[in-house]
Amino acid sequence: MNDRHTTFDAQPDPRLGAALRAALEPGDSAAFAVSVLARVARARASAWEVLAAWAGRGIVAAAVAALVVGLLAGPALSRAGSWDEAVAAAADANGSLPPTSLLTAAQPPEPGALFASLVE
Amino acid sequence: MDCRNAGLGKRVTQGTMAPDPQPPGADARIRGEDESELVSRAQSGDRAAFGVLVERYAAQARRVARAVLGDPDDADDAAQDAFLAALTKLDRYDPQRPFGPWLMRIVANAATDRRRRRTVRRTEQLDPDLPAGGPRPDAEAERAALGERLRAGLAQLTPRRRLAVVLFDVEGYTHREIAEILGIPDGSVRSEVFHARRRLRELLADWKEER
Repeated sequence: MNDRHTTFDAQPDPRLGAALRAALEPGDSAAFAVSVLARVARARASAWEVLAAWAGRGIVAAAVAALVVGLLAGPALSRAGSWDEAVAAAADANGSLPPTSLLTAAQPPEPGALFASLVE
Repeated sequence: MDCRNAGLGKRVTQGTMAPDPQPPGADARIRGEDESELVSRAQSGDRAAFGVLVERYAAQARRVARAVLGDPDDADDAAQDAFLAALTKLDRYDPQRPFGPWLMRIVANAATDRRRRRTVRRTEQLDPDLPAGGPRPDAEAERAALGERLRAGLAQLTPRRRLAVVLFDVEGYTHREIAEILGIPDGSVRSEVFHARRRLRELLADWKEER
C-alpha cells in the first residue's frame, strides 16, 4: 500500500489507514448520536414503566395480605376480648407483670422486676 | 487521545489516495483532561455529558463495529447497544484509565455478539476478486470501488484481525491498548495486524493492477 511502510511496521500506515477509514466511514454522526440518546431516554422510561407495573401489583398484593391477616387474626382477638386482656392473660399465666404495666407505670420499675429473668 | 486524532488528520493530508470524508477537526479531537471531566459528570448522572461523549466517539464506534459486521445498519445497531451498555457500566469505569479503549472494548464485544447471532452475512458473500461494477469514470467512483474492495477484503479476515488492523491503522490505538480492548497479548495484536495488512495490501495491489 505504502512503499515506505511494511507489514512489520510498529507505526500505523497512513495510506492504508486513510483508505480503510474511507471504506468504513459511517453516515451522519449527529443523527446517530440523537438516536442513541433517544434509546437512552426510552430505556429510562421503560424502566419506570416496569417499576410502576410492579408497584401496582405490590399494592394489590399488600391489600390481599392485609385482608388475609385480618380474617385470620380477627376471630382470635374477639375471643380474647381485647389486645390488653390477651397480653394480661398471657402474663398471669407466667406469674409476672405484663409488659404494658411496666411502660405505663408512674414510677420506674424495680430493677429486680426488670432483670428477674436474667437473675433467675 | 488528542495526539491520536490529530495524527489521523495529518495522515489524511499525507496520503495521495482517498481523502478522509470527515477529517477530524479541532472540535472532534478528544482531549484527555476534558474527557475525564466529561466522564465523571456522566458517572454522576449528567446525560448531557454522556451525550457529548457519544458524539465524540460515535464515528469511531461505528467504524469499529462495521469492521466486525460489514453491514452498516447492523454496525449502527451494535454501536448503539454498546453505548447503552457503556452507560449502564459507567460506574465500573476507572477514570484513571483512558476512556477510548474501555469504550472500544464494549463496542467490539457488542459487534462480535451481534455477529454470532447473525445468520445471514451479506457482506462476506461479496467476492473480493470481482472488480466493483466495471470501469469507473471519475474519482468518486474509484473511491467507491476501492471502498467496496477493502470492505470485501476485511470480510475475508477473522473478526479479531479486522479489529486489530482497524484499531491500529485507522483509529491509532497502540498495540498495548488494542491488547486490552481485545483481551489478547501484545504479541498477538502485532501478529494480527501483520497478517491483516499483508492480506489487504495484496488485495489492493491486485486492484491497482486491474485499474
